Amino acid sequence: MFKWNKKFLTAFLAATMILSSFAATASANTYWQNWTDGGGTVNAVNGSGGNYSVTWSNTGNFVVGKGWATGSPSRTINYNAGIWQPSGNAYLTLYGWTRNSLIEYYVVDSWGTYRPTGTHKGTVTSDGGTYDIYTTMRYNAPSIDGTQTFQQFWSVRQSKRATGSNVAITFSNHVNAWRSKGMNLGSSWSYQVLATEGYQSSGSSNVTVW
Amino acid sequence: MRKPLLFLFLFTALAAIVSGCAQDPPEKNEPPAVNEIEVTKDNLVLVKGGSFGNTKTNYYDKKVTIDDFYIGKYEVTQKEWMEIMGSNPSAFKGDQLPVEMVSWYDAVEYCNSRSIREGLKPYYNVNKNKIDPNNKSEYDPIKWTVTINEGANGYRLPTEAEWEYAASGGQLSKSYTYSGSNDADEVAWYWRNAGDEYLSGDWNWPIIETNKNRTQSIGLQKPNELGLYDMSGNVREWCWNWYADGDPGSASGGSFRVVKGGGWIGDVSNNEISFRGKFEASGFGPDQGFRVIRGA
Repeated sequence: MFKWNKKFLTAFLAATMILSSFAATASANTYWQNWTDGGGTVNAVNGSGGNYSVTWSNTGNFVVGKGWATGSPSRTINYNAGIWQPSGNAYLTLYGWTRNSLIEYYVVDSWGTYRPTGTHKGTVTSDGGTYDIYTTMRYNAPSIDGTQTFQQFWSVRQSKRATGSNVAITFSNHVNAWRSKGMNLGSSWSYQVLATEGYQSSGSSNVTVW
Repeated sequence: MRKPLLFLFLFTALAAIVSGCAQDPPEKNEPPAVNEIEVTKDNLVLVKGGSFGNTKTNYYDKKVTIDDFYIGKYEVTQKEWMEIMGSNPSAFKGDQLPVEMVSWYDAVEYCNSRSIREGLKPYYNVNKNKIDPNNKSEYDPIKWTVTINEGANGYRLPTEAEWEYAASGGQLSKSYTYSGSNDADEVAWYWRNAGDEYLSGDWNWPIIETNKNRTQSIGLQKPNELGLYDMSGNVREWCWNWYADGDPGSASGGSFRVVKGGGWIGDVSNNEISFRGKFEASGFGPDQGFRVIRGA
């Protein structure tokens, strides 16, 4: 483990879980299937179209997601989490990066035992629920532009969103609300995925994204 | 200035090797392309100045002319760092690995300490008691005021322009995207190739960490047109300049110093010669190092 992990990451345990994704096109990232971390196991399956499923057990940090290679501030992300059964710390979240400025962002619809938090900036109502808006900082942390100090933007639904039916995340509502709080995303859009993330937990999920 | 004690004149058919003989054979009766590259005993390479020949740099066709200078053939290693500074801050330990976890201030101090050790006049004036009013960073708790000793012969960090000029091959440039090739895998250690297995898919930190990505010993990849190694990849390299959007080199202050070449963590776009990285001067990470230069 690196020095800066020890120095900086401990205090951000949940906030620093970093997501990964299948390629945004339908090509499977087969390399990543069935890798283990600290004795845990993650079985991820890149399904057809926008579907993926994952079961995990006693894991370190992992993420499986599906979405788009290039994010958009105006995209409406539709998904159906047919299975969402976390046991411990996990998120069901929209996740992505912008560069210039470098920002890592989340719209968290559901979670396991831990609801992420940060510096509270306000709320936004969207898609039938109210989300709390938070920012967190990461110092000297790994990013798509190498080690950087950067902000994370969060919208976290105040109560867990029901799963098992078709729902949408109207991302522009979050982008606009963030902007009104002085939280400006960058001008260059990296990938944007609807993801399952786990940290020192077990569970299973099956999600279709479109 | 102190003359290098020993010159090694390397006569190599570097250009032919770099461009690939099979694709671009020399004409009959024409001798192979020969480049004369002067290297000191300290592994400093003389870069002949001039205007930018690489069409992919930020300075091409900009009427920018670079003076001659010496630049490290390799990134500063942990052995070199230890000899001057005494302790090793690096996350990945090894004499021939590049030093990392060094801030811009650390790099400046190394330059001055090495200059003093070698009887050169330090290039930087470092005032640790005066907060630099030009440093606008929210996250830099150090903010030493660092100014230049114009004309001093000591070690220093490259300017962004000098770095791009050297990385792009100077007068021998073949207009590559990365330093020495259009294929990052030939010349750079970056997130796909710097670990146990070659990674595919999207950039992904948990995978990179699980794959045990790390720095690599200096000089293992193909050098560029000037015989410089790892200008793209391995560790990012601090430059002297402030970072500002727009014209490189124009800023008199800012929040960031420029970092160039990308390292083993970031996306491969960071490894392009033209990519303008930035980082707080106080920032450090296991992909952040530097190389030194001196006036010629």
